[in-house]
Amino acid sequence: MNSRVLLVFTREAMTLFVSAVIGSLVVFGLLRLLGGDVALMILGQEAAPEAAIALREELGLNRPWHVQYLDWMGGFFTGNLGRSYAGGYDIFEQISDRLGPTTLLAFGSLIVSITIALAIGTYSALNARNARGTAVDVFAQLGIAVPSFWAGLLLVYLFAVYLGWLPAGGYVPMLEDPRASLVSLILPIAALSLGSTAVKTRFVRSAMLDVMNEDYIRTAMAKGRTFNAAVLLHGLRNVAIPVLTVSTLQLGSLMAGAIVIENVFVIPGLGRLLLVAVQGREVLVVQSLAFVILMIVLVMNFFMDLSYGLLDPRIADRKGKPTHG
Amino acid sequence: MADPAPLTAADGEAVPAVRRHLPLALIIGGVLVGLVVGVALLSYIWTPHDPARINVRSRLVPPGTPGFPLGADRLGRDMLTQIIVGARTSLYVSIVATLVALVVGTAIGLATAAASGARQSVMSRAVDVGVAIPGILIALVIATALEPGNTASIIAIVIWFIPIAARVTIGPARQILALDYVEAAYAYGRSRTYVLFRHVLPNISPILIVQASIMFASGILAEAALSFLGIGAQPPTASWGRLLKEAQPMIDVAPGLMVFPGAAIMVAVLGFNILGDGLRAWLDPRQLTQAGH
Repeated sequence: MNSRVLLVFTREAMTLFVSAVIGSLVVFGLLRLLGGDVALMILGQEAAPEAAIALREELGLNRPWHVQYLDWMGGFFTGNLGRSYAGGYDIFEQISDRLGPTTLLAFGSLIVSITIALAIGTYSALNARNARGTAVDVFAQLGIAVPSFWAGLLLVYLFAVYLGWLPAGGYVPMLEDPRASLVSLILPIAALSLGSTAVKTRFVRSAMLDVMNEDYIRTAMAKGRTFNAAVLLHGLRNVAIPVLTVSTLQLGSLMAGAIVIENVFVIPGLGRLLLVAVQGREVLVVQSLAFVILMIVLVMNFFMDLSYGLLDPRIADRKGKPTHG
Repeated sequence: MADPAPLTAADGEAVPAVRRHLPLALIIGGVLVGLVVGVALLSYIWTPHDPARINVRSRLVPPGTPGFPLGADRLGRDMLTQIIVGARTSLYVSIVATLVALVVGTAIGLATAAASGARQSVMSRAVDVGVAIPGILIALVIATALEPGNTASIIAIVIWFIPIAARVTIGPARQILALDYVEAAYAYGRSRTYVLFRHVLPNISPILIVQASIMFASGILAEAALSFLGIGAQPPTASWGRLLKEAQPMIDVAPGLMVFPGAAIMVAVLGFNILGDGLRAWLDPRQLTQAGH
């Protein structure tokens, strides 16, 4: 047992490390391959040559690429990622300050979407042959097609402009005023969760429909359970794995959605900072931020895969082999 | 609906899933996609107003005003015209990006599936990392390096979709490569490239066609998101995402401005998604492959 835990952990940790290296190289490389000279990207293509030379000197851009890369990576451990050229802020400090709102938004959405998808997916499977089930299916198709930022705008119009119940944007830190903080997060989380809930609902529905035909449901009914009770008691547990799988696959789009939604609701998180940095062509800020957001996805992936491998020994075995299902 | 399919149950066995009449989803999806494509083509011949014309007298007129059925924006530009012309941008970006990404991604996927042991696992790990990277993140990184515009959107979406296309290809390609007739082709002296293109590619093409449809839908969403963030289409290029960006500050004055561009995005995305579902059911009823996103 213990050796298996160790094996799963080691393998997932290796994956995380390799992924982090590949990801950081992609971010570092893409900016330089497409943008060319970093100093000119920051200063603008028409910058005076002397200014560019001075900035190159200041930021150490004259050094070989691998030295710059290693220096950048080292900065994450020493807490020194340099300063923003236009904003003047310390990049490492700013990123740590912005982590809170983004994490809250993403986790909130994850929890909300899993809960709702389980509820209405199950409901739809139990009502697969009548109008109520069909209504849920239509919702799922629509939910996938509605862009999160449009959903955000519609929600703002309805609940903030028209009804005046909720704030149209902004963010209150959790520690300052927990209640106001939650209220300020309701609309962003709702907008962010719509699409992922719809996708998960479809998975829950099809997994539940599979479960309903299993022998153990009949066994449970033979032992006196009603059909619905049997499905709810035994089915939900079996649906957990597919839901975990989809949630893992959606982590990337969850963070992507958070970036967009932060900009709709002006939430001072990583995504808002990123967009401002992109518009200001702050290459150094963008590369560090992009890597941090990527690491959040990879680390969450790591934990999901870990729990996955530990929950189900068959998956742990299968993942070790090169063959695919 | 009443299309007599050439393939019907040959044996007496009733296998309901293999009946090949046109699925309803294919028809609904086809109609919606046809509508969007038709509108985009129409925009080259006719638009209700000149899309670039600024008109002070029609500033922010509400939907339903004669001559402006969907209203006009803060510069007096007709919303219906903007949406009709916007269909062009949406389709152009998503179709070009999807096709390029599919070609490159499929090639990478085929190469990965055909590679030997260690190399294969490294390559598929790299593809997995690529799939895990949030697409918008790549797009924002690219937008830092390039001038914003449709070309930047296309490059961003291509890089975003390549790993997904590769991921979808690897599994099925590997299944085909394990079949006997592939072995036979090798024994006959065919090269690996020949086998991949003559045997593997045609056999996985239904999956790729379905994937293409889903990617067109994601591409439309992506283009809209990038333009909404201000790193995609720039004025005066009409784009549904940019219309929403411009509507946001006017939300309490003219809420109508944000309704129609969003609805247009929804119809287009819905169309390609439903078309994808329909194609999946039609091309191979037993193949229920899930896309990697």
